[in-house]
Amino acid sequence: MRSSSLEQELENFVIQEQEKYYRLAYSYVKNADDALDIVQESIYKAVASIDSLKNPGYIKTWFYRIVVNTALDFLRQSKKVVIVEEEVLSGFSESKVDTYADLDLQRAMEKLPLSYRSIIVLRFFEDLKIEEVAEVLDVNVNTVKTRLYKALEKLRLEIKNQNEGD
Amino acid sequence: MKGQNLEQLKKEYMETPIPAELDFVVKKSLQESRKKMLRKNKFRKIRTAAISVVAAAAVFVVGINSSPVFAKTLADVPFVGSIVKVLTFREYTIDEETFDAKIIVPAIDGLQNKNLENSLNEKYLAENERLYEEFMAEIKDLKEKGGGHLGVDSGYVVKTDNERILSVGRYVVNTAASSSTVFKYDTLDKQDEVLITLPSLFKDERYVEVISENIKEQMRAQHQADENKIYWVKGVEDEGFVDLFEKIDKEQSFYINPDDKLVISFDKYEVAPGYMGVVEFVIPTEVIADILVSAEYIK
Repeated sequence: MRSSSLEQELENFVIQEQEKYYRLAYSYVKNADDALDIVQESIYKAVASIDSLKNPGYIKTWFYRIVVNTALDFLRQSKKVVIVEEEVLSGFSESKVDTYADLDLQRAMEKLPLSYRSIIVLRFFEDLKIEEVAEVLDVNVNTVKTRLYKALEKLRLEIKNQNEGD
Repeated sequence: MKGQNLEQLKKEYMETPIPAELDFVVKKSLQESRKKMLRKNKFRKIRTAAISVVAAAAVFVVGINSSPVFAKTLADVPFVGSIVKVLTFREYTIDEETFDAKIIVPAIDGLQNKNLENSLNEKYLAENERLYEEFMAEIKDLKEKGGGHLGVDSGYVVKTDNERILSVGRYVVNTAASSSTVFKYDTLDKQDEVLITLPSLFKDERYVEVISENIKEQMRAQHQADENKIYWVKGVEDEGFVDLFEKIDKEQSFYINPDDKLVISFDKYEVAPGYMGVVEFVIPTEVIADILVSAEYIK
């Protein structure tokens, strides 16, 4: 029989880190309603499978993984592949000076395959260690490194092409 | 590239507007998920039809192939009659790297009341076929997205098997993405060859109240003796945080134990946090003696 502390810990953790996981969900689906749905279902899944969390130390990557998988599930099922980005961007334009450069970069990000984009988000935006990214995505460390390198390469190429096209 | 541009992207990412209702959604989900673990699987989205059809077809062939054989085996046993027993009818095992399933289908054997026997056995088979089907669909789903862990374990336990009573519990444990434990019981009167339901044991519906009150007392007493034992019941858990246990269902899971006592069973998350697992309460016979139809089964 498991002690209650693990469940309690999950709860505290989720409440505390909710914004982080919301942002992550949002980065996949690009709208608030769907992102909230994903957060909700991720919590259901997490509570339901708390037994699979062997070590409380892994709670962070474990929950990231549930959110990523739920988001990917959602995308696959809704087949929402093309996302309108402009409207969303205007939402935080007050803090932006050169929106155009961001747009290019954003577009370049969107063009990345999901597996690459996840790595960029987790590694650079969420500041996870390579090992943690590997754990979240359930691939080995070398794969993460290779994909990360390729993702950066693709981003750079994408930006370069766009700039040259202007 | 790795420098400034990425910093900009990150800044933007970090500025993702957080909707005001996030906090509410999170707390509500935590609360609901503790309570409604079992229903929650219905949240599932509709899977690609083709996948399910393939999986369903495969199982169906198995089912149809084995049923006549099974029926024949029964017919061949010359001395059925009094020997009522449970046997393992079929096992499905899937053992792949990250997917494992063990599905054991029980079958009741030896009843002369073939209607009862067949309807029970058909129910068992159908339940497990559905389980298998769902599992295969989920595996397919997971494989497409590049992996994951999934397990299902289903089987049965014989709770009581004496001269009079046969109580069989069937369980399903799902692990990984949606984990839960569900127990369902069937209790048979072997002599009269009837299925005993919870309402059939009692004179009228007062049993719901009587049993519920007793269970609530037991929950509070257990908590008092050991504060790690948490139940979602008034006096132990705060209201508003979770839906508290009010009363049992008219058809609540139950069985009759070898001491001829009534045992009420709750699935994981039904009345207590997940770590409490499946919880059971033995109802003292004196509590219900007045409202029992007879002292035949429960003593």
